[in-house]
Amino acid sequence: MESKKTILELNKVSMHFGGLTAVDELSLDVKEGEIVGLIGPNGAGKTTVFNCVTQFYKEYTGDIYFQNHDGDQVDLRDYKVTDIAKLGLIRTFQNVELVKDLSILDNLLIGAHHHYETGIIQHILHTKKARSEEKRMKEKAYEILKFLKIYEIKDFYVAGQPYGILKKIEIARTLMSDPKLIILDEPAAGLNDQETDELETLIHQIRENYHTTILLIEHDMGFVMNICDRVCAINFGKFLAMDIPKNIQKNPSVQEAYLGKDE
Amino acid sequence: MNVKFLTKIEELLGPFSAKLRKHPNLTFVVFGLLLCLVALLPHLGLMNFGTMSIIAYITIYAVTALGLNILLGFSGLISLGTAGFVGAGALGTAVFIEMGLPFELAVVLVLTISGSIGALIGLFSLKVEGIYLAIATLFVGEILRQIYTQVPIFGGNSIQIDGGIKLLGFIELSQIFKEQRSMLFVLLVIIMVLMMIAMNNIIKSKTGRALLAMSRSEHAAQAMGISLLKYRLTAFVLATLFATVGGIMYAMYFQTIPTTSWSLDLSLFIIAMVVVGGFKSIYGTFLGAFIIHGIPNLILKDLLGDISYIFSGVLIILVIIFYPNGFVYIWVDIKKGYSKLKKRLQKDVTTDGK
Amino acid sequence: MSDLFGIIFNSLETGSVYALAALGIVLIFRTSKTTNFAQGMIGTFNAYIAAYVMLSLGWSIWIVALLALVTAFLTGIIIDTFIIRPASKVNAISKQIITLGIIMVIVGLLPKIFGVASFQLPRFIASEYSLDIFGATLFYNTIFVIVLSLTLMGGMFMFIQHTKWGLATRVTASDETTSKLMGVPTKRVTMISWATAAMLGTLAALFVAPRVSVYGNMLLTVQISAFFAGTLGGFSTFFGPVVGAYIIAFSRNFTQFYISDIWGNVMVYTLILVFLYFKPYGLFGKKPTKKV
Repeated sequence: MESKKTILELNKVSMHFGGLTAVDELSLDVKEGEIVGLIGPNGAGKTTVFNCVTQFYKEYTGDIYFQNHDGDQVDLRDYKVTDIAKLGLIRTFQNVELVKDLSILDNLLIGAHHHYETGIIQHILHTKKARSEEKRMKEKAYEILKFLKIYEIKDFYVAGQPYGILKKIEIARTLMSDPKLIILDEPAAGLNDQETDELETLIHQIRENYHTTILLIEHDMGFVMNICDRVCAINFGKFLAMDIPKNIQKNPSVQEAYLGKDE
Repeated sequence: MNVKFLTKIEELLGPFSAKLRKHPNLTFVVFGLLLCLVALLPHLGLMNFGTMSIIAYITIYAVTALGLNILLGFSGLISLGTAGFVGAGALGTAVFIEMGLPFELAVVLVLTISGSIGALIGLFSLKVEGIYLAIATLFVGEILRQIYTQVPIFGGNSIQIDGGIKLLGFIELSQIFKEQRSMLFVLLVIIMVLMMIAMNNIIKSKTGRALLAMSRSEHAAQAMGISLLKYRLTAFVLATLFATVGGIMYAMYFQTIPTTSWSLDLSLFIIAMVVVGGFKSIYGTFLGAFIIHGIPNLILKDLLGDISYIFSGVLIILVIIFYPNGFVYIWVDIKKGYSKLKKRLQKDVTTDGK
Repeated sequence: MSDLFGIIFNSLETGSVYALAALGIVLIFRTSKTTNFAQGMIGTFNAYIAAYVMLSLGWSIWIVALLALVTAFLTGIIIDTFIIRPASKVNAISKQIITLGIIMVIVGLLPKIFGVASFQLPRFIASEYSLDIFGATLFYNTIFVIVLSLTLMGGMFMFIQHTKWGLATRVTASDETTSKLMGVPTKRVTMISWATAAMLGTLAALFVAPRVSVYGNMLLTVQISAFFAGTLGGFSTFFGPVVGAYIIAFSRNFTQFYISDIWGNVMVYTLILVFLYFKPYGLFGKKPTKKV
C-alpha cells in the first residue's frame, strides 16, 4: 500500500457555519485503489467533508488536493462544483438523488453528461455525429447495467423501483463518468442484510473492474470493517484516528466517541 | 365485439405502430400531413374560413406552449411573460417588414432580440427563484406590454403588414386571397411540425435529461457536471424562441397584429394549455391548445352560446383535479382499460368453450 | 406644492388598496401554496353584488358593502371547499392554473347574473366633504379609506401575532404537514384564509369602484400591483407586501407625474427587477435554508 500514489489529500481543512465548527483542521489521505471509510457519530461532520471535497462548499480553509487523469496533483479549490466530475471525482447522495420520471437507462446517461461533445444544435438537427455519440453512450450504459445485473429493467421508470435497485442505479450512474475516485454517502443505509452483503461484493468488483478508488461514509460498522482497507474516524469535525479497521476498533478515543467516557 | 376482432386489429396496426415507435419524428410528419388537409376543406365548401383560422390559432399556441413546456415540464420553472414574447415575434416581424427589410431578415432579427432577453431572464433566474422569479417574468411581460401599447412605432391599436409577406423575395402570400390564406395555413402546419421535431430531439438528448436532472435536484445535477448557468440560460432562451416563433407565425397568417392582446391573460392561457394538455408531452401540448382554444371556439360557442366561458373554466378545474399531469395521460387509463377488456373477453371465450 | 400633496394623498389611497389585495394574496400563498390569480376577480364579483343590490333596492353604500363582505366570505369558503381542497395534492403550477379556471367561471357568470352593463358605486363619504391642504383637495373619503385599511391590516397583524388562531395560521404557513400532525386544524385555517382573502379583495374593489366604475377588469391593475408588492416586500412575512404596496403606489405616481406618463411604469418595474437581483427574497424576505 505504501508505494501507491495519493489520490486525495486533505490538509488541515476547516469549515465553519456561523459560530459552529463543522470540520476542524482535518487532514487525511486516500491512496490509489484503496477503499477508505469515514466514520463518526451523528453530526460529526462527515457529509460536510464530502461537500467540501466536491466543492459544494467553497468557504473552507486548508487545502484539498486531487490527482487528475494525467497524474498531476491539482488544488480542487480551483475548480467549480460542476467541473469536479470531469476530473474523475464523482459522488452519490445520502437520500438517493435520481430523476424519478426518467428511465433507468436515461438516468445512467445523465452520469455521462460531461463526456458528450456534441451541442444542442447538432441534437436538434439529429446529425450523424450526435446519433453515433448517443449510441456509444448507450452501449457503455448497457455494459454497466449488465455488470450490475439490472440490464433487463433498463427501460423502466426509476419511480416505483425498490430501494436496493435505486442504490444500484446511483452507483451505476457514477460509473458512467469514468471515475477515478467514487465518494459514496451511506451506500448501505436502508438496505437489508442480504442486500448489504451483495453491496460488499459489488464494491470490491467495482474496484477490480473499473480501477477506481472508493471513499465512503457509513454507519453500519460491520460493513465498514469488512470492506475498508483503512478507516478514518472523526468526531465534532476533528480527526481522531486513521488506521486499518482492526486497530480502529481498538482505538480508545474512537470507542470514547461512540460509547461515551467511562466514569 | 370479441377477442378475435381485437387481435385482428392489433395485427393490422402492429407494423405501423412498430415503425412509428422506431421513428417517433415520423409521427409528427404524418400528423402534420393530416392537419394540412384542413387547408383544402374550405375550398370544397366543407368548412368555413373562420374555422381554419381557429385551427391556425391552435398551431400558433401549440408552438408557444411547447416552449413553455420546456420550462414547466422539464426545468421546473415558470414564466408569466410568455405573451410578451409572442407579441415580440408578431409585432417585431411586422415592424421590420414595414421598415422595408426582407421577411427572412426580420425573422432573424426578432429571434435574436427575443433570445437575448430570454438569456437575460435565464441569468436572472440563477439569483431569483420560485414565486419571485415567476413575478419577475410578469414584470418583463408588463414592461413589454407597456412598450407595445405606448411606443408610436407599433402604430397605436394595431399594425398591418401591407401587401402580405414575401418569402425568399418572390413568393407573395397575402391573407386577403383565399388560396393564399390556405397556403399560409399549410406553412403554419409545416413550421409546427418542424418545431415538434426540434422539441422531440431536444428532450431526447442530453439537454432534455440535464434540464430534468436540474429541476429534480440541483446539487445532484451539479455533481454530475451539469452547469446551472448553462441550462437555465438554455431553458429560458428556448422558451422565448418558441414563443417568438409562435408570434412570427401569427404575423405570417393574420398579417394584422393588435398591440393590446399581449397581456397576462394570454400568458395564463398558454400555461393552462401545458397544464391541461400534459407536462413533458408534445402531443399533450397540442391537445392542451386544442382544449383551451379549440373546444370553446369550435364547439362550445355554437352549442352553449355565452356560457362557453363558464364551461371552459369548469373544464380546466376538473381536468387539473383528475389529471394533475395533463389530460394526455388519459391514454394510460385507456390502455389499462383496453387490456382489462381484452382479458375479460378472453375469459368469456374460454368459459363459452367449456 | 398642491401637486405634491395631491400625489401624496393619492398614493396613500391607492397604496392602501394595493396593500389590501397584496395581503390577501400572501395569505393564500402562505396557507395554500398557490399564487391566487383570481384574487381580483373574486373581489370584482362581490363588488358587482353590492352595486346590483344598491341599484335594485336602493340601499345605502354602507349596507351593500357589508352585504358584499358577507358574500365574499361565503365565496371564499365555497372556493376552498369545492375547488382548492380537492386539488390539495396537485402540483404547484397546476394549482395556480386552477385559479385561472376560477377567473373564467366568474367572467362567464358576470353577464349571466348581472347583465352586460357596467355599474357605479359611490364613495363611502360623498365628495363634497373635503379639506384643503396647501391647495390640494383631501377628500374625507380618502382619509376613511387610508385609516380603515391601516386599522384593518394592523388588527390582522395583531391577530396573527397574538392569538391562538393567528399562531395556527403562522404554523400552517410554515409547514402544513407537521402542523396537521400536531393537531392544528389546517383545513379550517386554509378555509378561513380563503374567506379572509376574498373579503380583502372585495374591500379593495369597493374602494376602487368610485374611480373606475364596476366592470370585469376593474381590479386588473390592482391585482398585478399586488403581486409586485408581494415580490418587493417579500412573501415570507405578512407586513412586507403591505410596505411594498405603498412603495409601488408612491414610486409609480411620482415617476408618472414628474418624469413621464408613458415610461413611469416601465422605469419602476425595471428598478424593482434590478433590486430583486440583489435582494432575491424582497425587502423583508429571508432566504429559505437548503440542505445538500
